[in-house]
Amino acid sequence: VTHPTYLLDRCNLADSHTLAVYERHGGYAALRKVLGDPIAPEHVVETVKSSGLRGRGGAGFPTGLKWSFMPDPKKDARARYLAVNADESEPGTCKDRVLMERDPHGLVEGSLIAAYAMRAQTVYIYVRGEYRLSYDRIAAALAQAREKNLVGADILGSGFSCEIFLHKGAGAYICGEETGLMESLEGKRGHPRPKPPFPAGFGLWGMPTTVNNVETIQNVPFIIQRGAEWFRSMGTEKSSGNFLCGISGHVERPGVYELPLGISARTILEQHAQGVWKGRALKAWIPGGSSTGFLRPESIDIAMDHDSVKAAGSMFGTGAMIVFDETACLVHASEVIARFYDHESCGQCSQCREGTQWLHQIFHRIEAGRGTMADIDTLDSLARGMAPGKTICALSDAAAIPVQSLIKHFRSELEEHVRAGGCPLRKKARPERVGALA
Amino acid sequence: VTKITINGKAVDADPSKPLIHACHEHAVDVPMYCYHPGLTPVGSCRICQVEIQQGDMPPRIAVACRTPVAEGLRVNTEAPKARDARRECLEFLLKNHPLDCPICDKAGECDLQDYAFNEGQGEGRSLEPRRKLEKRKSLGDVIVLDQERCILCSRCVRFMEEVPKTPQLTVEGLGSRSVISTFMDRPLTGNYQGNLADVCPVGALTLKDFRFQARVWNLRKVPSTCGECSRGCSITTEVLRGGRVARFRPRFNPEVNGYWMCDTGRFALDAANAADRLSGALVRGYSGLEEASPEVALARATELLEDARRPGAGRESSGAAVIASPFATVEEGELLAAIAQSLGAKPAFISPAPNGLKDDVLHTGDPCPNRRGLTDLGFEALSPEQALERIAAAPLALVAGERAGSLLGEEALSALAGGARIVLFDVRRCDAPAVEVCVGIASCVERTGHWVNITGVRGRIAPARPAPSGVRSLQEHLQKLSQDLCAAGAALG
Repeated sequence: VTHPTYLLDRCNLADSHTLAVYERHGGYAALRKVLGDPIAPEHVVETVKSSGLRGRGGAGFPTGLKWSFMPDPKKDARARYLAVNADESEPGTCKDRVLMERDPHGLVEGSLIAAYAMRAQTVYIYVRGEYRLSYDRIAAALAQAREKNLVGADILGSGFSCEIFLHKGAGAYICGEETGLMESLEGKRGHPRPKPPFPAGFGLWGMPTTVNNVETIQNVPFIIQRGAEWFRSMGTEKSSGNFLCGISGHVERPGVYELPLGISARTILEQHAQGVWKGRALKAWIPGGSSTGFLRPESIDIAMDHDSVKAAGSMFGTGAMIVFDETACLVHASEVIARFYDHESCGQCSQCREGTQWLHQIFHRIEAGRGTMADIDTLDSLARGMAPGKTICALSDAAAIPVQSLIKHFRSELEEHVRAGGCPLRKKARPERVGALA
Repeated sequence: VTKITINGKAVDADPSKPLIHACHEHAVDVPMYCYHPGLTPVGSCRICQVEIQQGDMPPRIAVACRTPVAEGLRVNTEAPKARDARRECLEFLLKNHPLDCPICDKAGECDLQDYAFNEGQGEGRSLEPRRKLEKRKSLGDVIVLDQERCILCSRCVRFMEEVPKTPQLTVEGLGSRSVISTFMDRPLTGNYQGNLADVCPVGALTLKDFRFQARVWNLRKVPSTCGECSRGCSITTEVLRGGRVARFRPRFNPEVNGYWMCDTGRFALDAANAADRLSGALVRGYSGLEEASPEVALARATELLEDARRPGAGRESSGAAVIASPFATVEEGELLAAIAQSLGAKPAFISPAPNGLKDDVLHTGDPCPNRRGLTDLGFEALSPEQALERIAAAPLALVAGERAGSLLGEEALSALAGGARIVLFDVRRCDAPAVEVCVGIASCVERTGHWVNITGVRGRIAPARPAPSGVRSLQEHLQKLSQDLCAAGAALG
């Protein structure tokens, strides 16, 4: 299988995280091009718009359009910010980590170009607390870049100044939600803010702010360097470019692969990940991180791009595929997923705070053999009470969607658990966790 | 104003307020927990979901507390989808709520209880054990927190941040493990803690003072005005069947106090419930102060005042002193001023020094609730010392109004030189030798009248219970007194 790649090209070089290697392989050329010519900021936004780049953080919103929501600096003289969301925490997702660890200068360069395009002079990179190496690598890259006058005041003598601050998260999933991230950056609890107002009008400290995902930002220098046309030549008409697909679970070769959008999920599974492990059959798969829910094996032929996955009743999400073989218990998987959201709900909205806990408790009971048929209907109605769009942020939806998909596609498995008084797929009884649910 | 449609009825709405405000203005009930009209809306409890429609857009569900009022907005609070969304939300809120209403002080005025009765399912579906948390966590001298009842609406957190501007409360922990807490469990401080029990929509934050004292449906609630400072906050006096005042609570008044009141006023219950009331009257006889009927006492007072009015009579100084309590109402002040005029005296009121409680929120630090009203009537403000001097210098002093005796000081009154003679109208007896007549009067939870606050707003005080038997209001006594004096004056020609 051959397709053009670019995102991960540098990542496999020795010392790819250093400035020397980065520059030797075309690094900071895009920044020099933007600042040297110079290209007008609105032209940069136009280029990104016409490239068709869509956000890689999960929602798939067109990046250029998002940038254009920032107010006109002639009419709005407030300070403005770019926040890079490097708080990658969606279960199954570990793509940004590869970029940050192995290509931190790509993130720095992309951030500078994005900041220039939006006329922001301050960038915050919010790194997931557990990503220590990522943090250290970006910090080192920033120091090197600063030394070469690539970051800071009057970059490369262009008159453009931009400071980049690195912020370490403290381990909360909710701080990966853009408004929760902003609250956290401001030094408060990471409680998502109700929208409207939207960040472009009222973001960090009430100033215009754009929040972009790491992978999105890393695409930007390539688009500037090689052009929107080139970018559109990859992927599909509505989802252009390559994406990083992290595939995990019961596959022979899990990993992060750079693939063109629109590639079929079957190709990813069978050719890149080399199929379901141990020659077993596929039972279920998740297309884009735990919050996108389970799909049946019959859907494995769908194309992995935003619109095709949506048409199949799920979401492209972060492009993180999770694969379950025929021996996997999806009720247990659901319990694990529910436990995650129960643990990570911020607790503001009633439905999410109580609902995530309730879902977790019910799955735990069913898996432990104390479920009833009524529980299945309760699960369904709880999930309907939590989503869609009933809460301030999408965490409640993220917790409800996997439940709804389980009931839709695998209801019989829940019923078998209830009838069998426990997990029929387990030979040994699963020890009950004591106290964890109190 | 903006024109919107609520449940098919075209109404005018204030565009500066969220949609829920317009609904409530037009008597459309939309439940609320995290929303409080005096605090920044956060839209987190999600109970106020309604169906809204703008233009040709399809109808959608939104929280009314975070929806701005826009021209042409159509709202349907009773759309099936909206009702379902609220019911679902209610079920989640009740999932871990202890339902200990029978022992909860909030029962009867609990927003969660009310809405659960109106819209609840009657039976919970949850088979899981409810959250076990601390049920009686002290948050200082005023408030006790029941973490199990808390629905994490964060009104209390926002109140402390936004009203007294002393942020002390926060949400601690994540998700279903969240609790309300103070930093390092430090006790709450400040003069506005009592409002926390009012803003709490459930029984999570209750007043230590009111804990297990009353079932709220047994309280008689009467709108009145607080007398603890010259702000004159609008309040509700709430009395038990026996007449004991169980609590004072703030009553919304946008001109004066908004939704709040200070703890000094809220807990001024000792004065209201004092046991040592003077019922009836006392007149000095051969064996000191002797009990007498108010009629007899009033006759003696008339006689003494008449005497003081009469010029000469072998005395160098003539005329009487008229000293009002700062708690005297406008009505009482008018009568006193008239009496003072007929006596040729200049009326004055006791004005104690500022008490150091002044803050930027409500408390003015001035302990005279009717300073403005009395000043407007021509009363002169005298410190207690100046007032005592004037009493000592006059052949007779008419000292009238609630707490006048205690503001002057029992000891100071007892130490007055032999020549001083006082006719006293007060809620408590005073045994100072100078007191010739002492008449019991109704207190500010037993009488009606008006105070004018520091900004010129008239506040009505209203009786929440009858005065003790045989006790009349100062107003009645003064009316009688001035009539009698008038009659005597006419007779004198």
